[in-house]
Amino acid sequence: MLKARRRARLLAAALAGILSMSTLAACGDDAGGGGDGKTLRLWHYEAPESAMGKAWNEAIAEFKKKNPDVKVEFEAKGFEQIQKTAPQVLNSDEAPDLLEYNKGNATTGQLSKQGLLTDLSTVAKERGWDKAIPPTVAVTSRYNKGVMGSGPWYGVPNYAEYTLVYYNKDLFAEHGVEVPTTVDELEQALATFKEAGLTPFANGGAEYVAQQYVYQLALSQADRSWVESFQMKGATDFSDAAWTYAAETFADWVDKGYIAKSSSGVKAEDAGVSFMQGKHPLFFSGSWWFGRFGTEIKKFDWDTFMWPGSKMTLGSGGNLWVVPEGAKNKELAYDFIDITMQKGIQNTLGNAGGVPVAADPSGITDARSKKLIEQFDSLAGNDGLAFYPDWPANGFYDSLTSEVQKLITQSAEPADVLKALQAEYDENVLK
Amino acid sequence: MTAVKKYPVLAALVLGALFMVLPFAVVLMNAVKSPDEYSSDGPLSLPDGLHLDGITTFWERVDFGEKLWNSVLISGSVALLAVVLSVFSAYAIGIGRIKGRPWVLAFFVLANMLPQEALVYPVYYLSKEAGLYDTRLSVIIVFTVIQSAFGTYLLASVLSGFPREVIEAARIDGATKWQVLWRVVVPVSRPTIGVLMVLFFIWTWNEFLLPLVMLVSDDVQTVSVALGVLQGQRDMDATMTNAAALLGVLPALAFFLVFQRTLTRGIAVGAVK
Repeated sequence: MLKARRRARLLAAALAGILSMSTLAACGDDAGGGGDGKTLRLWHYEAPESAMGKAWNEAIAEFKKKNPDVKVEFEAKGFEQIQKTAPQVLNSDEAPDLLEYNKGNATTGQLSKQGLLTDLSTVAKERGWDKAIPPTVAVTSRYNKGVMGSGPWYGVPNYAEYTLVYYNKDLFAEHGVEVPTTVDELEQALATFKEAGLTPFANGGAEYVAQQYVYQLALSQADRSWVESFQMKGATDFSDAAWTYAAETFADWVDKGYIAKSSSGVKAEDAGVSFMQGKHPLFFSGSWWFGRFGTEIKKFDWDTFMWPGSKMTLGSGGNLWVVPEGAKNKELAYDFIDITMQKGIQNTLGNAGGVPVAADPSGITDARSKKLIEQFDSLAGNDGLAFYPDWPANGFYDSLTSEVQKLITQSAEPADVLKALQAEYDENVLK
Repeated sequence: MTAVKKYPVLAALVLGALFMVLPFAVVLMNAVKSPDEYSSDGPLSLPDGLHLDGITTFWERVDFGEKLWNSVLISGSVALLAVVLSVFSAYAIGIGRIKGRPWVLAFFVLANMLPQEALVYPVYYLSKEAGLYDTRLSVIIVFTVIQSAFGTYLLASVLSGFPREVIEAARIDGATKWQVLWRVVVPVSRPTIGVLMVLFFIWTWNEFLLPLVMLVSDDVQTVSVALGVLQGQRDMDATMTNAAALLGVLPALAFFLVFQRTLTRGIAVGAVK
């Protein structure tokens, strides 16, 4: 583990070297232009049976129908591969015309700052993407000197993501529990399951799952200006009412056995699988599980509800279509993005369990999916997306993981955990 | 040896073997499960039946035959070229006894210890300048050099213990340096060279980082890079990943089994000396 960390750090250092050097190299390169308009080279890293995979396959077919003389060269990549090699690839002659890339300051932000991505502002306006995508979702599309939130458009998301509570309907019925609409009802439900010998929440302390519980608890006590201060302005007080409530409630739930003490080392994948196995009646996580639960849970009936008593939840726009500065057929890339934004493709994405950014709700036939999308639309309309807790500071994901683990193993008091988080946040916050 | 003494050792060996085989057994088990079965029963349950969809879907999705050929081509060329290069330089260092020998050897060890992460950028930049970026040749060149650094170090120390009388006898009979190398040194050191070749092949086969960075297009990628395609950002297809892992290790395993005798013979030769 330690070795792996060291390697990761070395790799990061090496890649940082590449990043800075490739900026220099980018100045010398005369990229772009010279396309023959006859091939579209396209990369993404979604599995073919996922919501995005299905929608984009359909988009490729649609594109071929509209442009019969254009050859589409699609290559399926791994997330890791794009993550690790994008700066080098985009700075070479091998750059594709269009690729899916991870949103965020360290990824799309970084590349846009180095001039490796095409500024899409004009095209977004011409083709109306800026109208179709709600402003809270577009936060991750726009980067000003590499920092998200404002400035030119560098990417277009087809989908969004947010967090919600998945629940096992069979277990709810068996124990006579109703879907909770207030925090009190939620706590009562948790107590009922605990008495029946079940650990109510599936949790994974080794990865993002646990910190999302804590952030959601804080959000339930916060308002929009609190989120903006924490996420954008680089100022938050971890000893305020919201954070204190979050850490103390979480610690209390661990103490009462609502969250297993043994879950500190559990990975997200295993937390999800334990819910699918029916071991836990509840699982709070992202919409990215939705499609998989839909196809793989056969043993029981399930549904979702929003965290009770909270106007906001975690979430943001999804990963982006970006056009490399060195792309040879930019117009074809724009045409393709335009197809993915049309209602037909957006509805396919929605019916397959994704959260489309511009779907037509009447075109969504699956009842659960319809609810998923309606919930999202109301969140996006009410400024309810609060992003992710690790975004504001460098390396904060690791700090959050290890501090929340201390709450799960009960090796630190909530106040100490919050103090440690404050120190990490203040030191590494991006301003 | 009495039975009383024998059994604890046997038991310990069986236990050790079990621990070694267990991960493979888990991979094999999950490779033939359906995703639903994995989700509802977890990774350690026995599969209900043979579900080969994961394997066939993965094979088709990444065009595994092509990846296999790329891996064989790269690993095979590296094994061959690196061994030839190692023999040449080890002959000069171990038998030729060039000046500053310890320093040269120390340099090779150092080169071998360099983490690959540090090589990523220079190698990327140079191959781009040379027009070799995104070609199999670039990976072959890089790994030939890396592997032969280790090969030179090892062979040079083996050859420095080579009986000088044999070489002198050959020289008196009128053999040139070239003939001494091919007619005397290489045949005698064959077991060691064989072991090196097998090791180079397997090591190169399992390399991940440099091929990941250097081989961008699908049609030049190796098996280990292709396995990475299944890892999504937040989700993974566990059964298909297992199926892919199975497909990934099989060739290296087969290669090892075929050349296993070379390996043990080479190790035994070292032990007797």
